[in-house]
Amino acid sequence: MNATTWKEKLSAIRDSFSVSIAKSPAESPEAVELHYLGRKGELALLLRDLKDIPLEERKALGALGNAAKEEMTAKLDALKGASAGAAGPAAKPGLDLTLPGWPFPKGSLHPLTHTMNRLAEGFLKLGFTMSDGPLVEDDYHNFESLNFPPFHPARDMQDTFYVDAKDQLGKPMLLRTHTSPVQVRSMEKNEPPLRVFHTGRVFRSEAVDASHSFAFHQIEGLYVDKGVSMADLKWTADTFMKDLFGSGVKTRFNPSYFPFVEPGAEVDMSCIFCKAGHNAAGRCPVCKGTGWLEVMGAGLVHPNVLKACKYDPEKWSGFAFGGGIERFAMLLYGISDMRMLYENDLRVLKQVQ
Amino acid sequence: MNILYSWLSDFIENPPSPDELAAKLGRVGLKVEGIKKTGASFSGVCVGQIMKIDKHPNADKLALVDVNYGPGEQRVVCGAKNIAAGQKILFARVGAMLVEGELKKAKIRGVDSEGMICSAAELGLEGDSSGIMVLPENTAVGLDAATLFPKADYLLEVEMLPNQGHCLSHYALAREFCLFYGLKLKEAKIFEGAAAGSAVPVTIEAPDLCPRYTAIVIKGLRGAMTPDWMADRLRAVGSNPKGNILIDGSNYVMYELGQPTHCFDISKLDGPELKVRRALPGEHFTTLDNKDLKLDPGMMVIADARRPAALAGVMGGLETAVSDYTDAILIESARFHPPTVRLASKATGVKSESSYRFERGTDPELTMKAARRLAGLILEAAPGAVVAQITDNCPVKYQPPVIEIDPARVNAILGTGIADGEISACLRAFQPDLKDSRPWKFTVPSYRQDIENLWDVAEEVARYVGYDVIPSVSRMPMLPSTSTPLWLVTSEMKNTLASLGFSEAYNYDFVSEKEIKACGLDPAAALEVKNPLSSDYQFLRSTLLPGLLKTLSYNLNRGRDSVLVFESGVAYARKDAGKAEEVYCSGLMFGNFPEHGFWKGGQAAADFYHLKGMMTRLFAGKSGFRFETPRKAPAYFQPGLCLEMKLGGSSAGYLGKLDPAAAAAFDFKDNNIFYFEIPLTCLAAAGKMEFWQKVVKIKPVSAFPQNWRDLSIVLEEKHQWGELERAFSGVQDLASARLIDVYKGKNIPAGFRSLTIRFTFSSMAGTLNDGDVGARMTAVLEKLTKNFEAKLRS
Repeated sequence: MNATTWKEKLSAIRDSFSVSIAKSPAESPEAVELHYLGRKGELALLLRDLKDIPLEERKALGALGNAAKEEMTAKLDALKGASAGAAGPAAKPGLDLTLPGWPFPKGSLHPLTHTMNRLAEGFLKLGFTMSDGPLVEDDYHNFESLNFPPFHPARDMQDTFYVDAKDQLGKPMLLRTHTSPVQVRSMEKNEPPLRVFHTGRVFRSEAVDASHSFAFHQIEGLYVDKGVSMADLKWTADTFMKDLFGSGVKTRFNPSYFPFVEPGAEVDMSCIFCKAGHNAAGRCPVCKGTGWLEVMGAGLVHPNVLKACKYDPEKWSGFAFGGGIERFAMLLYGISDMRMLYENDLRVLKQVQ
Repeated sequence: MNILYSWLSDFIENPPSPDELAAKLGRVGLKVEGIKKTGASFSGVCVGQIMKIDKHPNADKLALVDVNYGPGEQRVVCGAKNIAAGQKILFARVGAMLVEGELKKAKIRGVDSEGMICSAAELGLEGDSSGIMVLPENTAVGLDAATLFPKADYLLEVEMLPNQGHCLSHYALAREFCLFYGLKLKEAKIFEGAAAGSAVPVTIEAPDLCPRYTAIVIKGLRGAMTPDWMADRLRAVGSNPKGNILIDGSNYVMYELGQPTHCFDISKLDGPELKVRRALPGEHFTTLDNKDLKLDPGMMVIADARRPAALAGVMGGLETAVSDYTDAILIESARFHPPTVRLASKATGVKSESSYRFERGTDPELTMKAARRLAGLILEAAPGAVVAQITDNCPVKYQPPVIEIDPARVNAILGTGIADGEISACLRAFQPDLKDSRPWKFTVPSYRQDIENLWDVAEEVARYVGYDVIPSVSRMPMLPSTSTPLWLVTSEMKNTLASLGFSEAYNYDFVSEKEIKACGLDPAAALEVKNPLSSDYQFLRSTLLPGLLKTLSYNLNRGRDSVLVFESGVAYARKDAGKAEEVYCSGLMFGNFPEHGFWKGGQAAADFYHLKGMMTRLFAGKSGFRFETPRKAPAYFQPGLCLEMKLGGSSAGYLGKLDPAAAAAFDFKDNNIFYFEIPLTCLAAAGKMEFWQKVVKIKPVSAFPQNWRDLSIVLEEKHQWGELERAFSGVQDLASARLIDVYKGKNIPAGFRSLTIRFTFSSMAGTLNDGDVGARMTAVLEKLTKNFEAKLRS
């Protein structure tokens, strides 16, 4: 590059700069400044080219360049002052970008759906296949095959709604009181080994209060194979709970009773809402200061249940575990009254995405 | 079950504290749901008498009361309304220990109060606490008040599971605790004497239902009263003592040992003799609480020569009941067949503490011990009485199950490595004389009717060593897992609806007859609940509409003006009416769309076309989806304002405007409610497809620019857009024909409308020039003119 072409280039930059300035505010002063005067701007690049020009000419050209830079900077400053609105009546206000955006409709999934999805995902990760069954059940699948003999007091644990229909044996059909009939239906349909789970609605004829509802939801898993033990169950329940509430959560088993398992256990998880049973205000309101929360029922599949499904209990063994969706949802969302989940108040529902 | 700590402690040597006891019971599966302090745990309180009542100088609601407490008088400030001069009351002196702590001298509104007149609550006692506690007039002034009430104690509320029939008494719970925690069990004191007579013969006619019947006859009882200590204990566990030792003692033994007993007044027995037999068909029986029951042979009775004297295991009879004048009794202590007792209790609707225990299985070897315990208690209360007969009818001798125990199998069930010695220690806790020879032959104790097999024994071993011994380890193999097709399509639909602005609701499955009729449906086709909680919940829903309308009202009543909700759930039908259960996804739209106005405008009243657009979006990408005019729409849609959705050959539900009659029946002002319902089985086939089959194959697009023309035509209104749209098929290179305006009014004749359609053309072969597009538009216009007599709008 020689001095002449350098001067021509400088002139061209000044001209196009003037055009850009005139377009303001379509082209913002900041953008123009960056384009011409920035570190990699046109003028800066041109000034860098001076190094190729013989020293004697370089000094004069440098002065020209600096003068152009000063002139351009001054013009930009004037422009910036004007657009800042301080200058005078000619100043135009910009857009009020704080105005609300388009009110795109915002829907929501129910907290129970979110909870159920998350729990189902937990089972799927552990290799449990989803299975299904009817809500209107027969006595055999809901009770008898699950080791609730007729006239057994265990039937009092689950107050039952009966419907105006009869099964093949002439017994009244009922609304299933738990999701466990699906265990039996799955075993009837499949040969072992099998690992299945089911989630859905169940019914109990109970008065509604803060912790009871006559319709609610359960989820439970079943695994039958050779040599399945309580240790397998403990690992699975523990892994499932850690998946939901984090690796810091501890689980423990307490003896318990459900007719369709033996041995039976209740699964407690360490309270995640307090530290060691106490919060700053005293007793933790969630675990009542015990440090533990009952979350699930569990146990080895009772030999009578295996027999009912034509599985040989001497050859096969299995475990089952599960719990109430509402219980988990109440813990997760910090709800103390179960009725809130069935009121369908949009002010509540829309808080959950 | 209520357990009194002091009573339980009668049977445990060196019992732990109530809190420790509760925690330890929990770890062996006996959950203590609450511990309550009972009785008098206060001190420094005595009986006082109100001598004089003056007005408080500075407060209308307070009084100054002079109390005589024996050694002297004190003046106290009292706010209770029920005070009166002369009353005997509970007076706490300064320094007394009350529920709230130590009572201090206080100045109340400027006047010194030298103590307090107490209410029940202030002393930690049960009872009316709206005012001070007033004592009987004959109570001696100055008496230490603690002597008037039961001693301080703890009441444990223990949750009892149906398999814990062996823990339903103080002794039984103590036995369980001692067994698992290695403490020494103490025994109750029983009557040890003998009697040879047989004043009242007992015959068991149904030994299968009553394998054992123990009877003790006592004479010379007249007027025996229940001792205070026994009444206090009964009251504490929630039973109401009657004052008659024959009734209260029987209850006491049941709460203590778990064996229900019954006392018959021999003078009222016909014969006197007793038969244990099945009830006769239609036989009548009047219970202790004067209920007339009609019996049947499925039930069992204890009868004298003439009539039933008791419904076995459930309740005694009124006519043979003991009274304060009873002189001679027969104590019944029997074992009854649990299902028979349960059946009788269910069929007659009579539940009792006795039937509760028999249903759960009583200890076959307990009958004599319980009868002797009751006899002993009665003899203590009635020193002149004598035992005249002790008989033990046992036609079916109890044979305890013997289970062969292989410790390796126990460990295999539990997944543990518990040493053989520890397992045998557990078994010996139950059966001290267990022999060493293998396999171990474990004889189940008679009181454990719930232990039947190896798995049951494994649970006992786990309880004995503690469930924490079970490790958390697994060698489970990998298994493939899948969701169900229905779950997949339901989730997909829920997510799309939520992204369109719908909020998901959960309603109950139950509806009322009124709601079914309000939907224009026939209750006879609905599945009925035989034992509904109320008439509001008498039927199972056949459509999700009523619930969603309730959700709409609920939210409108709380200040909302626009509602967009959906629900997914089961709709039921009678089996004879087709598919019994069908999962639906249904929703409704009301108010404005979008719900909130925009400052630039663009909000409109929700209408049919909003909902139609949403359904189009919901089914986007599902091949074979279309809207059709329904042949017969559900009754709750307004006729002519409903479309059926189709997916391939099957119905994908309906959308439309709610019928005005339905809207009115649900108390809505108008029927601008737009509702849809989709049976999800229509999508199940899609759900069954493999993932790769569901992925849409992408069609190539033209490399050449597209070209478009707008066309405005005028035609009669009878021609529907759907017909026009179909007519465009086959036009060469037509990429799309979009309706962009519909106009009626000025310059358009009545009965006609103007449609503006944008035709877009695109060819894979090359760029279409103006001439090409013109030729294709001519073809379009010809079709419109020929088929629909459409004219170009000038």
